[in-house]
Amino acid sequence: MQARLGASQIRRVRQFAQDPLLVIIAIAVIVFVVIAILLPLAATISLSTSEEGLPLFERYLFDSTYQTIIVNTVVMGVLVATIGTAVGFLFAFVQVKLNVPFKRFMHIVALVPVISPPFAVATATIVLFGRSGIISRGVFGVRYDIYGLDGLTAVLALSFFTVAYLNLRGMMEALDPALDEAATNLGAGKWRTFRTITLPMLAPGIASSFLLLFVESIADLGNPLVLGGNYEVLATRIYITVIGLYNPVGAAVLCIILLMPSLTVYLVQRYWISRANVVSVTGKPAGKPQTINHPVVRWGLFLLVMFICGLIVLIYATIIIGAFTQVPGVNNTFTYDHFDFVINGLGREAMEDTTSLSIIATPIAGVLGMVIAFLVARSKLPGRGALDFATMLGIAVPGTIIGIGYLLVFNNPITATLPVVGEVTLIPKLTGGQGLFGGALAIVMVYVIRSVPAALRSGTAALSQIDPAIEEASISLGADNARTFRRITLPLIRPAFLAGLIYAFARSMTTISAIVFLTTPQTKIMTAQILNEVENGRYGNAFAYCTLLIGIVLIAIGGMYMFVGSRTGAERTIEGGT
Amino acid sequence: MRFKLMLVTVSLMLLLVSSTMAQDTLTVLCTPQEDWCVAMTQAFEEETGIDTNYVRLSSGEALARVRASQDNPEFSIWWGGPADAFIAGSEEGLLEQYESPNAEDIPVGYKDADSYWTGVYVGALGFCSNLEILEELGVEPPTSWEDLLAPELSGNVAMAHPATSGTAFTAFWTVVTLKANELEAEEEGTGYDEDGVPTEAALDNAFEYFAALHQNILQYTRSGAAPGTMAGQGEVAVAIIFSHDCTKLQVEGFQDIVTTTFPEEGTGYEIGGMAILAGAPELEAAQMWYDWALTPEAQEIGQTVNSLQLPTNPDAAVSDLSVVLADVNVIEYNFQAAGANRTALVERFDADIAPEPVD
Repeated sequence: MQARLGASQIRRVRQFAQDPLLVIIAIAVIVFVVIAILLPLAATISLSTSEEGLPLFERYLFDSTYQTIIVNTVVMGVLVATIGTAVGFLFAFVQVKLNVPFKRFMHIVALVPVISPPFAVATATIVLFGRSGIISRGVFGVRYDIYGLDGLTAVLALSFFTVAYLNLRGMMEALDPALDEAATNLGAGKWRTFRTITLPMLAPGIASSFLLLFVESIADLGNPLVLGGNYEVLATRIYITVIGLYNPVGAAVLCIILLMPSLTVYLVQRYWISRANVVSVTGKPAGKPQTINHPVVRWGLFLLVMFICGLIVLIYATIIIGAFTQVPGVNNTFTYDHFDFVINGLGREAMEDTTSLSIIATPIAGVLGMVIAFLVARSKLPGRGALDFATMLGIAVPGTIIGIGYLLVFNNPITATLPVVGEVTLIPKLTGGQGLFGGALAIVMVYVIRSVPAALRSGTAALSQIDPAIEEASISLGADNARTFRRITLPLIRPAFLAGLIYAFARSMTTISAIVFLTTPQTKIMTAQILNEVENGRYGNAFAYCTLLIGIVLIAIGGMYMFVGSRTGAERTIEGGT
Repeated sequence: MRFKLMLVTVSLMLLLVSSTMAQDTLTVLCTPQEDWCVAMTQAFEEETGIDTNYVRLSSGEALARVRASQDNPEFSIWWGGPADAFIAGSEEGLLEQYESPNAEDIPVGYKDADSYWTGVYVGALGFCSNLEILEELGVEPPTSWEDLLAPELSGNVAMAHPATSGTAFTAFWTVVTLKANELEAEEEGTGYDEDGVPTEAALDNAFEYFAALHQNILQYTRSGAAPGTMAGQGEVAVAIIFSHDCTKLQVEGFQDIVTTTFPEEGTGYEIGGMAILAGAPELEAAQMWYDWALTPEAQEIGQTVNSLQLPTNPDAAVSDLSVVLADVNVIEYNFQAAGANRTALVERFDADIAPEPVD
């Protein structure tokens, strides 16, 4: 048995090695993943387990102050995940199960938070609901204390619920209405059907949304910095440990403490929920989903969703109007000064740098995602499961940890001493102002590894829906692997590719936690500049940055649709399934 | 293949561009408020034709950044921010000595005897309060450090984090000094040791004070001036900041909203420092900046952007709006001791005070 297995493995390796191009690409991809993802992570882990680091674990884990911070982080994560998933569920439910007006509007509003920089919502929330907020104080006359857990939870839930919404909507649409009908025919009421049929069927989706939101929120740095008040979380602690104290060991230890819940959740999501998936997505639902007509439920939920939509619109209106306001909330005179500052002044460099680096990173991430998806789903590459896992770490690991890992690995050139040539630089210094391209390469790498996982997921999802027989046919007709990939596979996964591109660009433009330690005098990044403006209370400038950033992302999405996207029916079906 | 060729050419071109650029550029690590950094770099660029770039980092962040990149310095000159951080930096060997011919014009008290740094401005610490919020809370503008501990001000005081901000560290050392004076008044030798450095007991008393103050702090910001804006916007009642930063707010639209007061028992002050970084990649340009920044003309630039710190060059004109140190009860601020203890103190502050939950 053993020998047989070994033989079959060897055969598979040999089979894989038959195509030299594929081998070269696979090696290149693996080298990149190792350098850009695994090495920084390994450096952080090894520093934290060094002689200096290990005692710190004891200090942090058994110190009551740090215990509070850890508990704070988890409490915040659970609250955001619960509320965010609930809001996402509500939006999805209204979209799929209710026959109400303004559904398109609700859908678009729900998508908005994805493309906005992290501080935008927090800052607008302070202007609206802070202690001197336009609404809290102006309308209701209360000096509401938004700083701390309550404000943070609300802002984070609003920023992240879109993931839950898209996830759950997809599942709800895929539910076979026949089940509902069967329940109804057997005499169950709507509520009973919802409780005993719909909810259990959606449980995996709810659980995975919950976990995703949990990971996103405990990794978030921007919002706790702006809105945290005295509510300390691990992400802000790590930030101050690096930026104020330059204590890499302490930061690495805190990183590992933060990594544990993130990684656990990721593993649970990957190996437990995906297996426990009870929904059988057979492709097409057998009919239209039943709608719920009970007036109280229908209009009650409708009003609730419209209220949340109203809140989101209000927040984004504040951002845009605030960008044209002298001192938002204090002196409401109209002005172009903030835009002048960003477009013609200080912000220009950051805007240009960020946009061009994102433009560089986007196609790389998109192509890399598709190539890895192909390697994982189609090729016989040995260890492809590990490749998939390693790539996914790019997003499963909180951004601050990536940033610190980069500082640890790439702050000095990596050299090797070879027997004949002597010392050779394998990788030059990448981070800091004296790094390669003024530190820009490191930032592009971070953009890529943060975006590839999404492209990979949509790529594998798309590939899993394409019958391998189509590709086999191409090969038996004489095309080689490369030609088959280019002519057959690629066109079929184009929508997934497009989705990956859009995600990559939006993610790159709005990321903060992973690059906040990597900006240099030569390479300025918009999100880091926004943080500066917000922190110093120059909300007008911050809003102008945010407005422009949202504009750039929207234009880029439009552009990508024009160049890559096509909207033929067949491809839309695949996209719908991702 | 063609793509690869293109890639190689592009990277070669970029390398060429970056190497030619390196000759007449200057990268400034700038600690004061952003608009002053802009005005200074622009003026210097006009004056010399050197392409001048800057990054604004708060004092503590700047020190951390310089420390992190000491093998391969990203910056050539560090301009502004309390001298404490410069003294800490020179003790760690992060700074380069430079005897500027123009440093002779600067009074002895405002520069380093070993020429590691020279003062470019001076300013006193104060309390910046939002009048409306204070009235609502039924509290008078604070005139002593003890006033800040009033329970009414719970969650209504803001200051920066001493680890990142020189302003906050100045506030911290001011309290250390006041506590040392108190001890010394009770019994000679308990407040200061024989070298005039505050004793461990004085430090402990200061930490005790900040632990109590912590209960009233809404948020520790990164940069020193940020709490002022929070006061202006009514998010807190009182901000502990440099008085010139409060004046700047008043001039820029918050005139009837905020007011500056000083603690009667004494307040601290800063000497804004300037130094060339050890291993500066653009040494010549850095020296040109150093000489230039000490001239009266360069020191008068601050006023044009409402940064109303006092110039250190006696020939520079002083704005009417500036707070003159002689008008305020300024303590004897031991910069040397403050700088030498800075790193240890901010670490202790960060470990013992900042992350504590508020009851």
